[in-house]
Amino acid sequence: MTFKPEELAGPVEMSDAEALWYSGKWIDRVPQWVSVTVLGLAMLGIWWLIAELEFVSRILLPGPAETFEELWDTTKNIVSGGHIAEGLWITTQEVVWGFLLAAFAGFVLGVVVGETRLGKRAVMPYLVSFNALPKVAFAPVFVAWFGFGVNSKIVMATFIAFFPVIVDTAAGMLAADDDTLMLFKSMESSRWQTLRKLKLPSALPFIFAGLKTAAVFSVVGAVVGEYLGGGHGLGELIRFSAQTLRIDRVFALIVYLGVIGLLLFGLVAWAERKLLFWHKSEIFEIQGTG
Amino acid sequence: MIESTDSVDRAGQQPRPVNDEVVRITGLSKTFHKRGLNALDDVDMTLRHGTFTSVIGPSGCGKSTLLKIMAGLIPASSGEILLNGVEVTGPRQDIGIMFQQPTLLPWRTSLENVLLPIEIRSGSAAAQERSADALQLLELVGLGGFDQVRPFELSGGMAQRVAICRMLVTGPAILLLDEPFGALDELTREYMNVELQRICRERDATSFMVTHAIPEAVFLADQVFVMSARPGRIATIVDVDLPRPRTLDMMTTPEFGALVRRVRHELNMGIGEGGEE
Repeated sequence: MTFKPEELAGPVEMSDAEALWYSGKWIDRVPQWVSVTVLGLAMLGIWWLIAELEFVSRILLPGPAETFEELWDTTKNIVSGGHIAEGLWITTQEVVWGFLLAAFAGFVLGVVVGETRLGKRAVMPYLVSFNALPKVAFAPVFVAWFGFGVNSKIVMATFIAFFPVIVDTAAGMLAADDDTLMLFKSMESSRWQTLRKLKLPSALPFIFAGLKTAAVFSVVGAVVGEYLGGGHGLGELIRFSAQTLRIDRVFALIVYLGVIGLLLFGLVAWAERKLLFWHKSEIFEIQGTG
Repeated sequence: MIESTDSVDRAGQQPRPVNDEVVRITGLSKTFHKRGLNALDDVDMTLRHGTFTSVIGPSGCGKSTLLKIMAGLIPASSGEILLNGVEVTGPRQDIGIMFQQPTLLPWRTSLENVLLPIEIRSGSAAAQERSADALQLLELVGLGGFDQVRPFELSGGMAQRVAICRMLVTGPAILLLDEPFGALDELTREYMNVELQRICRERDATSFMVTHAIPEAVFLADQVFVMSARPGRIATIVDVDLPRPRTLDMMTTPEFGALVRRVRHELNMGIGEGGEE
């Protein structure tokens, strides 16, 4: 029996009868961008209604119009290099440094923990229980140790983003299955070769899961650090705006915080797609385009 | 490893291996001390060049343990394994092995997977130089043109064909097959048995296969070793003298049926013997 590569044909168009059969629910027949847009508009409408009817004081809950206006002002301030641009730049630096340090330390130590017996038996239980602690509670400690400058925020971001990376990396080191490990043993593979050619690639899906969590957590860490430790970042601007009841500005600034988080997350997700083309989750996407 | 006086005596009694003897096992025993399990007890066997040997036995009879000891993956408690006259003390390049799962690396192409053993032992440059051989092997197993395809695009049977190539690429003296087609569906499995026979004949390979499918054991083998459990030992050897190449049609002949019945009978005897637990 010989196979021909042509047998691996791509997806084939469905017949109309098949298409009808598979599109049972009305929601499946609506393009996704339409349903997403409609739901978004509906939520804006509810927000507008609540603000307009003043169920809540307009000072406490500005409507969509004021918020978008403020967002526009904020954007102008940023583009013209005003104090919000400075805050955005400071917070971005804190988040990126926090993420990079957490990713590096978490990866290196995670490999050591997952690869050594001592790590697996003695260090791992501590990591798991430490991971369960509410890590934001440590923020005042870092402010006391590292002062009110940028450093305490970077440390906070690193600290909070570090755990998902180290825990997932260590778990990923155990992802290779027994038979494949046996195969490497039968090939007289050195520990380093097994690590580089089998264990690390097998761990990548876990490592990326950790990095994606870390991308989100590093923003949380930086903002919490700024709430407690002052400075000139977006967190401090948010805190000040809320104190002066400028809720519309709080919302606008949160949008920009979200942009930082989304960009970082998107970057990690992009790298994951490039590197994990062989993995189940990606394969499903390749084959799932029907 | 300390050799028992028993195996030394044996070595004294028996003549040195004849030319066509690839594997000689004498007085092989294995005890798993933690569990106090006597997995293998005093196993002797000889595998001759170009022959196919099937090992069949109830689960827990130590057949997989035997294969792993032969592969140098776990140590024996006592006894000796000679491969081409040299004692097996650990993994070796002249031992080829294949498992129930294809164990292909999903991030590598078929070709890169086939070349993996060369790459591990001699480096990437050496592997590169052997690509032509690897491509030829892929051609041999019917996967010509699939060298740049990754495992997720292959069916189960195709993936096992790639695993066969990876096993053959170092030119091993013995092929150790641990239930190689156990995870495949029945039809694919039969196809793969015919294919394996063809490949083994073309390469003039010496093969040793662990299985728990009686028809498969008989179909492929020149001799079937029937094992009994607790302690694991070879209860009987059934010689299969059906002509080669064997075809799937032969599986319906009375001769084939008689051999299957005989193996099943011996298996039942073995289970009855060791089944007090």
